[in-house]
Amino acid sequence: MFPIGDDNPQINRPIATYVIIALNALAWIFLQGLGTSEALNESVCQYGLIPADLFSSTSHGGLNRVCYDGAGWSGVLTSMFMHGGWMHLIGNMWFLWVFGDNVEDSMGSVRFAIFYVACGLCAAAAHAFIGFDSVLPMVGASGAIGGVMGAYIMLYPRVQVRMLVFIIVVRVPAVAMLGYWIFVQLMGGMSSIGSSSGGVAFWAHVGGFAAGAALVWLFKDDELLLNHPHRGWNKAAAPTDIWDDPENRQ
Amino acid sequence: MPELRAMCFADLNNAVKIIQAHDEDDGEAAEADYRDAGFDNQYVLEVDGNIVGVTGYRDVPGTDQCHWLSWTYLQQSSQGQGLGKGMLLELIEKLRSENARKIFVKVSDYEDPELGKIYQQALQVYQGVGFKEEVVSNDFYDEGENQIILGLYLRDDEDQLEEDPAVSEEKPIIRFDGLFEIAETDGAYTFSWIVKETKKLFGKRNFSVGDLQVGLESVKNEGGRKVFLTFPSNLPLIHSPLQTAGFKYVGQLQNYYEHGVHEYHFTHDLNDL
Repeated sequence: MFPIGDDNPQINRPIATYVIIALNALAWIFLQGLGTSEALNESVCQYGLIPADLFSSTSHGGLNRVCYDGAGWSGVLTSMFMHGGWMHLIGNMWFLWVFGDNVEDSMGSVRFAIFYVACGLCAAAAHAFIGFDSVLPMVGASGAIGGVMGAYIMLYPRVQVRMLVFIIVVRVPAVAMLGYWIFVQLMGGMSSIGSSSGGVAFWAHVGGFAAGAALVWLFKDDELLLNHPHRGWNKAAAPTDIWDDPENRQ
Repeated sequence: MPELRAMCFADLNNAVKIIQAHDEDDGEAAEADYRDAGFDNQYVLEVDGNIVGVTGYRDVPGTDQCHWLSWTYLQQSSQGQGLGKGMLLELIEKLRSENARKIFVKVSDYEDPELGKIYQQALQVYQGVGFKEEVVSNDFYDEGENQIILGLYLRDDEDQLEEDPAVSEEKPIIRFDGLFEIAETDGAYTFSWIVKETKKLFGKRNFSVGDLQVGLESVKNEGGRKVFLTFPSNLPLIHSPLQTAGFKYVGQLQNYYEHGVHEYHFTHDLNDL
């Protein structure tokens, strides 16, 4: 099950979304050597987020460490532009491509860029707090993109998302698709508590999603949102429809 | 033989006298208007070398060939002979020859305790030459005295104007920059507004409910009764704050700005504050 698009036309060119995708691609090319083994391992350690480094809960140089020269606090920011493989990068960028444009439409490009980074920081914080003693580096934009999805479910819950199920395209309301996604992340997160093995950073996804769902109320611009016929839970009325009510007429 | 000719400065006193004979306030306002805006497109009706009527029109800047009928009065002794209707029909022909698109006229429905509805005859003349009622603003001039706005299409393709074309919406940043009492009214105010260029990263862009409330309070403090606002119909961002601030929809002047872009009229009764 994979989203391939949504029935939610973009109004403005999503410049910030393009720039974020470009930055991730550039990082993948120039910092991660297109995923070649040595460059990838080095970049994940150098730019990834290692919770244990933040809280010094594990002695440096311990036998269980994967990275010995981590990014420290700067990893909170840099990790959201790094990826662990081609599919990780493409999958993340695809989700951003599908959902980012409409969220950017609701707040404008500059605010969206700030919002995206803020969600990424919250995602990193959620991951680091839950697994504060983890020595495994976390990389990926999915926490920030989780924030974009959290905003999307708040802004456009009834938009039909086109999902590819095997070879069939089905349309699912965004609230169902994204609701299912966050449910899976929560379940994954619960089952990962106490585990020291790597894998998907479920709590980063949950933290990013929650941050996005909350921060969108601060960042959205109601005037820009008026452009969207599919905003909100109810079918959007034309702005002038309010005057049809006899109460609002002279 | 009646002749409609262009008005000049030498006609000012006679023209004002004709208007003053109907309404002294209108006479004063008309004189000020002639002096301020000049005599372009203003006409007098002469019969046997005597001026018996005035009419004319003013262009509406920012519109596609739309005009307002200006002071249109006929000397009382000349009424009842079809001169008023003839004067208007000749003016309309002039406008048509200049490819004008539409003309509007405002009329009061004032009922004098002794003389009755003194503008009723004028209203009937306007309707007789084809003007149709578009907006009625209650209590516009004073309590119980409404303003009726009538419009007349001047081009032959009027039938094609029935359907609205797809007009792109615009979202400029509209900010209020002043308020003033509307001429010829007692206690009816309006806000002047401007379009601002700059966009802020955060904060409000268009006028807000708070801005409207500040304006309404100011008008109330100045002793105003009502506020009237007009906006083009292709501005989707104005409606929510207007409705939230308690404005009521009055009506619209069809195709005022251009074909498909009307002028919406709103009002707020300050007794409701």
